[in-house]
Amino acid sequence: MLSCKEVVVEIERRLDGELSWRARMALRMHLLMCRHCGRYERQLKLLLAGLQRLHSPATDAEVQQVLDAVNAADPGPSSRL
Amino acid sequence: MDEVDLQKLQQQDQEAFAALVRAHHRSLTALAATLVASSDVDEVVQNTWVKAYGAIQKFEGRSTLRTWLTRILVNEAKMHHRSQYRRLAVIELGEDALEGRFNDNGRWQQPPGRWSSDDPEALLMEQDMADCLEKTFAEMPENQRAMIEMRDVQLMSFDDICNDLNVSASNARVLLHRARTAVYALVDHYQETGEC
Repeated sequence: MLSCKEVVVEIERRLDGELSWRARMALRMHLLMCRHCGRYERQLKLLLAGLQRLHSPATDAEVQQVLDAVNAADPGPSSRL
Repeated sequence: MDEVDLQKLQQQDQEAFAALVRAHHRSLTALAATLVASSDVDEVVQNTWVKAYGAIQKFEGRSTLRTWLTRILVNEAKMHHRSQYRRLAVIELGEDALEGRFNDNGRWQQPPGRWSSDDPEALLMEQDMADCLEKTFAEMPENQRAMIEMRDVQLMSFDDICNDLNVSASNARVLLHRARTAVYALVDHYQETGEC
């Protein structure tokens, strides 16, 4: 029987597709019985979804700075920046 | 994030390229900050965009644009400052932020609290929370931060990350777990107390 401490590691391994069928079943059994770990799993998934949106879009000034650098490096006739 | 018009991008359309920059510049900058010295970050990111612009016509869509850009950035970081880059190979696994929350039997003695938000965007974007997160990232070992940026923000594969950071798969797994639990513990504490 997995301990909760082991489960927090196994949850991540499942999210990354690294668990065998047997290990997935053992994890599922634990999660069915342990509301704390179930809550941890839901919160971790929420957190990982949040991390994907961690960085806000660049400002107009930052975008322009990049476009200027690209233009300076590639001043050929095909450049339209 | 990959909602940029690829066809227009490959025609080197200005607006399409600007949209690509707008969507990815901040995350590339954050990743670069984990790979090279702070004084070199701007140059590495700028070189990445120059390379990307020059190579966009050859982009075949085998990966997402996000992954493609990340690979260019990592290569630029490696070429730019090898000695600095190699510093990441030194393993510093750091602490497990959840260690003290289990009893000797491995059961929760301080279980996860209730979180008020179930919206991933709102969870980390509140200004006070964002400030706390920035502080946590600043205090985190560099290689843990790199793992979060590569795996959870840029969605790179484990194999690529292990190659790029020169770490074993098992160490990469530990680094990522510790980085995630550090962020988890921060958010859990913030949700309970409203403080870092």
